Amino acid sequence: MATDITEASPKTSDEDVGIGEYMYGFSDPTDKYVFKSRKGLDRDIVAQISEMKGEPDWMREFRLKALDIFFKKPMPNWGGDMSHLDFQDIFYYVKASANQEKSWEDVPDDIRKTYDRLGIPEAEKKYLAGVKAQYESEVVYGSLHEDLAKQGVIFTDTDSAMRDHPELFREYFGTVIPSADNKFAALNSAVWSGGSFIYVPKGVHIDFPLQAYFRINSENMGQFERTLIIVDEGASVHYVEGCTAPTYSSDSLHSAVVEIIVKRNARCRYTTIQNWSSNVYNLVTKRAMAYGNSLMEWVDGNLGSQLTMKYPAIYLMEPGARGETLSIAFASKGQHQDAGAKMVHCAPNTYSRIISKSISKAGGRSSYRGLVKVVNGATGCKSNVVCDALILDDASRSDTYPYIEIDEDDVTVEHEASVSKIGEEQLFYLMSRGLTEAEASAMIVTGFIEPLVKELPMEYAVEMNRLIELQMEGSVG
Amino acid sequence: MSATFLKVANLSDLAEGGRLSVEVEGRAVLVFRLGGDVFAVEDVCTHDGQPLTDGELVNGEIECPRHGARFDIKTGRAMCMPAVEPVKVFPVRISGGDIEIDQASVN
Amino acid sequence: MTTSAATTTGFGAEAFQAFLATRNEPGWVSDLRRASFGLYQESLGRPLNPEEWKRVDLRAFQANRFSVGGRATTTPATRMGTLLGNHPTTCEAGFAGAVAHVDGVVVDSHLAAELTAKGVLFGDLNELLRTHGDILKPHLMTRAVKPGVDRMSAWHAAFWTGGTVLYVPRNVVIDQPLYSLIGLATPQTMDGSHTLVILEEGAQATLLEETASATTTDAGLHVGSVELLVGKRANLRYVQLQNWNQQTWHFAHQAGLVEQDGSLQWTVGGIGSRLAHIHQEVFLDGKGARGEVNGVTFATDRQTLSYYTQQTHRSPNTTSDLLYKDVLRDEARVIWRGMIRVDQAAQKTDGYQRNDSLLLSPDCRADSIPGLEIEADDVRCTHGATAGRVDADQIFYCMARGMSRYEAMHMIVEGFFHGIYDRIAVEAVRQTLSRAVEVKLGIGQ
Repeated sequence: MATDITEASPKTSDEDVGIGEYMYGFSDPTDKYVFKSRKGLDRDIVAQISEMKGEPDWMREFRLKALDIFFKKPMPNWGGDMSHLDFQDIFYYVKASANQEKSWEDVPDDIRKTYDRLGIPEAEKKYLAGVKAQYESEVVYGSLHEDLAKQGVIFTDTDSAMRDHPELFREYFGTVIPSADNKFAALNSAVWSGGSFIYVPKGVHIDFPLQAYFRINSENMGQFERTLIIVDEGASVHYVEGCTAPTYSSDSLHSAVVEIIVKRNARCRYTTIQNWSSNVYNLVTKRAMAYGNSLMEWVDGNLGSQLTMKYPAIYLMEPGARGETLSIAFASKGQHQDAGAKMVHCAPNTYSRIISKSISKAGGRSSYRGLVKVVNGATGCKSNVVCDALILDDASRSDTYPYIEIDEDDVTVEHEASVSKIGEEQLFYLMSRGLTEAEASAMIVTGFIEPLVKELPMEYAVEMNRLIELQMEGSVG
Repeated sequence: MSATFLKVANLSDLAEGGRLSVEVEGRAVLVFRLGGDVFAVEDVCTHDGQPLTDGELVNGEIECPRHGARFDIKTGRAMCMPAVEPVKVFPVRISGGDIEIDQASVN
Repeated sequence: MTTSAATTTGFGAEAFQAFLATRNEPGWVSDLRRASFGLYQESLGRPLNPEEWKRVDLRAFQANRFSVGGRATTTPATRMGTLLGNHPTTCEAGFAGAVAHVDGVVVDSHLAAELTAKGVLFGDLNELLRTHGDILKPHLMTRAVKPGVDRMSAWHAAFWTGGTVLYVPRNVVIDQPLYSLIGLATPQTMDGSHTLVILEEGAQATLLEETASATTTDAGLHVGSVELLVGKRANLRYVQLQNWNQQTWHFAHQAGLVEQDGSLQWTVGGIGSRLAHIHQEVFLDGKGARGEVNGVTFATDRQTLSYYTQQTHRSPNTTSDLLYKDVLRDEARVIWRGMIRVDQAAQKTDGYQRNDSLLLSPDCRADSIPGLEIEADDVRCTHGATAGRVDADQIFYCMARGMSRYEAMHMIVEGFFHGIYDRIAVEAVRQTLSRAVEVKLGIGQ
């Protein structure tokens, strides 16, 4: 093990981590839970979720219709191996505590301790404008800076938004990603619970990030948060999500739907640091619609899970809209990161950029899957895609599947991808300077993703580098 | 371009609320009968380029059976994500017992 | 013009039996057909691979409107609208040999005497199977394109009508190119050409092949296959220029297999057809094998051209380099879906693929889908794709220099293709492709 790496990440010496390289694999007792549905999925379970939440009829109908679509749709015949995913072996709704609290003091001890270990309350004090902590199916803690609330910013869990802001909610919910979009969007639409709802009023800029932290605790858990973000004209927001889970030998499923509307001249950045334990299937649909002269950015870091299938999309709806996706994927032993990005140019003079960096090691497989589409009439568009992949050993695998569909002549679309291994000269040079092979490899990998990491706010950049270093530990030599 | 309406089907073969797949000038066209009127759209979803043939017809909108995109069968307009482009619509009329499509519009 | 009234249309059991009864071929060949027909019928019960076919709209295609060719023809090869233009009988000087087929029947075949003396075989597959079956049998549909690969390969293997064979023995070098013409003349006829090229160790050859129609209006169908077997240190240049009329459906399964230190340069020209789908594979089987693929396509009107290419690296130190350049106009559609696969054993692979599309009008559509699947770590694989239109400044500049708009366009399209022309060392092919561009642009007709 490389000693100076552990110095840089004090938490690895924490006694109660102890689970290989993954430091969030611990779990809490579940005996004090308020409610846990039976395992499996059917109309009764869906109706029960709706009833527990005291939802209006239309949502109950929406859920049941989505469930029908889910059952009807075939499993995708591409992407990762989902043959072991058993939809009937999962808990679809688990409520750990009775209420969502506004003070960490009121959150049940076990849960609060978990978030302490994850460092959320501390981060909140230092640099966040608001926090949502989702534990299993429900949000257990929520906060928002007072001055933002006064300016009309809404940052709440999605269930509360349906109750408290029904008109706003109904105007946008399910319009970016219809239930029928894909099998997992249908599943989420049927059993969704929790997630973040954000509304940023016209012209309001939120200087510090809003953060959501998703934690799965139970075994065979299914987490289906539903996030809806509306950034009104001229406003801006940076939303960050993190996620972890205990390490179990059985499978859990995380299947989120994230819908974002970025109105004219607005900006939205959505950052994900996905670090699920290696027994989690992470099958997520994320899509943003960006209007005139707005900017939407996805920063998507995928480090955990056994299988991730996630391709954040941006529909550039009006002239001048810009979309940017930065994607980092790291697939280690037993992992398949099938990640990527989609850009759909629906209007003239829209611009997109995708930068993807992936790393495969110890038998891991990382795939870039992406789409750049220019519809007829979307003249003057520009798109640039660059994918780089690094393979660290011959047991690992890298795939690149970029789809390009151009229905217009007046466009400039460029795509480049390369796959390579760590340069031996580079390794040799670093080792001649006294680094071990492991240290040298870690340094090269860190350098490889550096262009993306530097886009993150400092605290997250540090976190990302630390996670990459952990992934690299013990990998070579 | 002047219209040239040609028969594509018998009206009696198309029940109210029903649909017919026909080929016009090498294009797949879906003909609907709704509210006593007929409508014709190109049988291709503009989102994924594949047939709309078996999609549900709800409130005058054909829903793509794969991803849920919807199109107004009168105007072709895309009504629901993930489609953003309209589907082609063709002038169609009832003439006696025949359904006729303007071939010139198809070519 | 012959009449097809007596033939059974379609490709069902009855049509197959009727077709088989007309064949004069060794028993093992008929057995291969029967087995393939079984595979074909089975395959009809399964959908085509969606990844390969979902962008190709076949709804207007009706196989049962066509009849298998290969019986008789009265149309001479000179009637074909060829682009290589100089028909072999009129330009023997340029070629070491020429073979022509019309409606699946060989109508002309010759080879320079000194090559025959060296053991080179060049001619019609039907005839050479009868005379040299021992040489061809180990290669025919056993190594590169097996009947069971998919519906199209099985269909072809059951109903193939003929085709051109080139066999070059060990260390024989053929300097002049050979020419092969595949023509369709009778309406509603299916051509099932099978091109089989076998280069033994150290052999070298260049084969130029062209498909063409006798009229611009008659519907045609090609269900073809190309097998290119390049032995150790052998060097093959193969060009296929698809130049059917715009009423013809073209389905082809084509594969090249390159052994140790062998080299294949494969050029594909896509000009004609109503709808074409080509499944093209290059297998780099031996250490140090090299494969280069050049694609030049120009689609206009409502044509659909679809290419599904694979570069498969199975051995170490292999190189592949693919470049497709597509020009589109009107409502045409070009789909290119390419994949570089690198097996775990294929260390030190150098793989490259690139697709550039030039869109000349707003309603055309280009789908470009490069892909990499890499299982070895010590490799260098890159791909790129670009799409764009003719730069208005360029046209303006050309017109300011006294060119017509067409001339300007021509020059720009030529410039776009130039990168490919530079890779194709055969002058006749460069000239031919250049002429094809002119025809498409409506110049000098």
